[in-house]
Amino acid sequence: MALPAYADRWERIWHWVYLTFCTLVFLFLLLPVLVVVPLSFNAEPYFSFTEGMLTLDPAAYSLRWYRDILQNGMADPTQLFSGWSWIGDAWANSQWIHAAKNSIVIAIGATILSTLLGTVAALGLSQSILPGRRLIMALLISPMIVPIIVTSTSLYFLFSEIGLANTYLGLIVAHAILGTPFVVITVTSTLSGFDRSLIRAGQSLGASPLVVFQRVIMPLILPGILSGALFAFGTSFDEVVAVIFLADYDQRTIPRQMWSGLREQISPTILAVATILVAMSILLLTVVELLRRRSERLRGLTS
Amino acid sequence: MTVTVVTSPDDSRSIKRELTRSLRRRKLQALVLVAPLLLFILFMFIYPIGGMLLRSVYSPDFARAMPATVAAIAEWPGSGTPPEAAWAGVASDMVALQQRNEAGPVAAALNVEMSGARSLVLKTARNAGKLTAPYREAMVTLDPMWNDARIWQAIKRLSSPVTPRFYLAAVDMKVDEAGSIVSQPEDRQIYRSLFLRTLLISGVVTLCCLILGYPVAHLLANLPLRISNILMIFVLLPFWTSLLVRTTAWIVLLQKQGVVNSLLVWSHVLTDETRAELIFNRTGTILAMTHILLPFMILPLYSVMKTVSPVYVKAARSLGANQFVAFTKVYVPQTFAGVAAGCLLVFILAVGYYITPALVGGESGTLISNMIAYHIQKSLNWGLAAALGAILLTAILALYWTFNRLTKIDIIGLG
Amino acid sequence: MEQGRSIVHFVNVGKTYDGERLIVDDLSLEIARGEFLTLLGPSGSGKTTTLMMLAGFETPTRGQILLNGQEINRLAPHRRGIGMVFQNYALFPHMTVAENLAFPLNVRALGKAEVEARVIRALDLVKLGGFAARRPAQLSGGQQQRIAVARALIFEPELVLMDEPLGALDKQLREGMQYEIRELHQRLGVTIVYVTHDQAEALTMSDRIAVFDQGKIQQLASPTELYEKPRTSFVANFVGDNNLMAAEVDTLRSDHLCSVVLEGGDKVIAVATDDLMPGQKVMLSLRPERLRLDPDAGAGTSSRLKGVIEEIVYLGDHMRIFVRTANQVRFLIKAANKEPHHGLTKGGMLTFGWSAQDCRALPV
Repeated sequence: MALPAYADRWERIWHWVYLTFCTLVFLFLLLPVLVVVPLSFNAEPYFSFTEGMLTLDPAAYSLRWYRDILQNGMADPTQLFSGWSWIGDAWANSQWIHAAKNSIVIAIGATILSTLLGTVAALGLSQSILPGRRLIMALLISPMIVPIIVTSTSLYFLFSEIGLANTYLGLIVAHAILGTPFVVITVTSTLSGFDRSLIRAGQSLGASPLVVFQRVIMPLILPGILSGALFAFGTSFDEVVAVIFLADYDQRTIPRQMWSGLREQISPTILAVATILVAMSILLLTVVELLRRRSERLRGLTS
Repeated sequence: MTVTVVTSPDDSRSIKRELTRSLRRRKLQALVLVAPLLLFILFMFIYPIGGMLLRSVYSPDFARAMPATVAAIAEWPGSGTPPEAAWAGVASDMVALQQRNEAGPVAAALNVEMSGARSLVLKTARNAGKLTAPYREAMVTLDPMWNDARIWQAIKRLSSPVTPRFYLAAVDMKVDEAGSIVSQPEDRQIYRSLFLRTLLISGVVTLCCLILGYPVAHLLANLPLRISNILMIFVLLPFWTSLLVRTTAWIVLLQKQGVVNSLLVWSHVLTDETRAELIFNRTGTILAMTHILLPFMILPLYSVMKTVSPVYVKAARSLGANQFVAFTKVYVPQTFAGVAAGCLLVFILAVGYYITPALVGGESGTLISNMIAYHIQKSLNWGLAAALGAILLTAILALYWTFNRLTKIDIIGLG
Repeated sequence: MEQGRSIVHFVNVGKTYDGERLIVDDLSLEIARGEFLTLLGPSGSGKTTTLMMLAGFETPTRGQILLNGQEINRLAPHRRGIGMVFQNYALFPHMTVAENLAFPLNVRALGKAEVEARVIRALDLVKLGGFAARRPAQLSGGQQQRIAVARALIFEPELVLMDEPLGALDKQLREGMQYEIRELHQRLGVTIVYVTHDQAEALTMSDRIAVFDQGKIQQLASPTELYEKPRTSFVANFVGDNNLMAAEVDTLRSDHLCSVVLEGGDKVIAVATDDLMPGQKVMLSLRPERLRLDPDAGAGTSSRLKGVIEEIVYLGDHMRIFVRTANQVRFLIKAANKEPHHGLTKGGMLTFGWSAQDCRALPV
């Protein structure tokens, strides 16, 4: 966005004000996320940069909070990294590992459930012939609009009655409800961009409907399904309100553990966990972006 | 298209029948695909929400706990002292409650209606076994408060399972002892101001997001794709980062021993003693929520701005408009769809926010969601929580519906 | 049905989507083996529906479609072995050019070596030898078009359908591709059924043209016959420029000629294309390039009219002259730019004429 040669003085000043403002907003967006990264390597139990950190003194940095992620809850924390027995101890007793296992199990379960249901529904929704299509669509995406507190408390009452409270299945169901709208939306929009003459082309070239589905339809909508699934995974992995209402300690997830940490006694261990989560979100973002570009490249032909 | 009519009417009818049948078959196929998710959502989402909302008007627990009382008091017109049957009913219900150890909820429910009723009920229940007929004298002897007609009026109100009292409570009103609807005393009014505060904070957050997001979206939409793709990471990374991580970051930055305060002390703006209270109040809530919701403003704005051709601004300038006029009169109106979608999205999310206000809101920064959670988890006043939730949900749905009606913009497609 | 000559036979085929309006109305058509047949008509005339019924994507509501003598009404598209080129090419975007070409061969379970050899041959055929590893999105419109043609031909179908395949190309590219498709047709001897709404394209490429309107074939003839001897006013109007004038038959003559009266009273001689009756309303069709500016120079001029020149449009190789007669009948004349035309000025008077053989009286 270069300034044109005819710009007058005020326009030039305005242009620079505008660019400065945008730069500040970008910093506002990114800095708070990144500030936890160096602080998680603090050797001291503080939430601020120490003198030593600012002068880049190696002694001011440490991995103690990362070790603490493993040690917290271990039967014998002193044995960390000595021999092999600590692995079993950490796997069985460490609070954060317990939470991570729960997070992954629940997120994978919710992702599978919401992707399956959402993709099949999107196949039906993409047919204009479906009666009451607008209403059905509105119902299917309503979990996105209803406040999470209303959803969570409603499920709390239902699950108490039908015995799903404080179970993995209950959490998987709850997170699948929250994740399906993303799957429905991404897959429907992929299908709406799908050129139906490709199906006819496949048939005219001698492929049976099954082969057309496998070799033409599936490869083209797969990126949409995958990015919907990633959205669902991300939603579940980050969700905490439903977990607060529907889980007890056994099903505690990483965000739930962070929630308690922040409410009770905040320790820099949370910063170490946060840093790991930031790294994960960078990974997730990269994958989604690659999928989006691939899908766009494939569709480049028709658009 | 041709307008030739199929010659034989018989023929036409059979063709039409055939067509209708194949149409129905295709409709059915589409429905079968949608059905599993639709049923899942209906039974696991819509149905429980309905059940929860029902709690806001339907509360049979009291009637179920005091069956004899409820049956007897139905005869009582509501003035004077109730008949002996009602006194006997209370006495016998209290015996049963004490045996099942369930006097607590009844006491709590009555106490909401009339302060002091809790201890009265608990005391009566403890001594219910010793009461003998005539029950009226026995109970008044036990506690003269039973002679007060207002306690019986409260019992009569509670004995009906369908009740407006939760909604009244949710807007700081109540049915007084005389049975008319009045406002709560000033010192007990909390929900109206909480709703107002929720709307206010959401409005401020939406406005902040718009002010910060509009220029950034404009920049992203007008830069060459290569550069804007890189800058987009600045928007998408926070978007994909865990909500709790971002809230943690703000606590770390703003708390008394945090980065910002230390920076201010280090640069001698503040001293160690005057470290500022930046978080655990309304400012903290607004700041953190603006940061968290900003991507939801930028993304719809960006996707609308991407479709605005730069030709129009050029045309405006060639017609004699300066940069400012061209921007405000020609460019901005074309982005209204994005502004509307972004504002609606941010506002809806903000109104229902729970986590961030709970963690950084302190006393003055909590929102309606936090109050709902409080009534579900702590005070166990589920009817009130349901009424608050119903009001919140209705407001959001009405907002969404109005928006859809007014703009015909598919907000979902933009997200 | 004689096996050798005719490959496709439509027998009284009708198609309706709603049970009332016929998109295709009682269509009967025989397509000869090896011919290039074009279905020409405006949009909604039923030509594409006819093609889709042949391809198997639509089912006829009534009648029969025979392929090599076998009824194929209910045969699934993928069992018909008919090649097809789609309007927007429909190349699979997730496959390379080579994979696109190999697709019909792989579903027919051909050997790997055979597939590779045929793909190379097909790419050579459409002069895109070095493009095997590209994706469709990396090709120009013309290149995609050629790949689409190659893909439809690679499994050696006897019959190839083309649905407005050149619609998306610009004019120059389109003309080049018309020539290439025509050449492929002659080289391979395959039968081609081609759908277009562009009459010039139809005239250039086809052995025969079926002009569609209102779900019916208005005329099925060679390009020359279609242009020179249109049988209905629709055909006369749709194919090429034409002067079309309402008129009434005055008297019939023995030699297929008749005398007709134009609106306003001018009398001219025309070819009677049908059994006409005196007094019958007809439409006169007169090609603008057959009108002569110097009616007395050559022999055979049978009618003459005089009018005021309203407009002259210069088009390089020819000029278009718009003339209005005293009786308010307007004529368009195309005059070849062979020699300078002096004395033609806007507002001036012009005498022009034509041979009776060039003026056709069509029933309305």
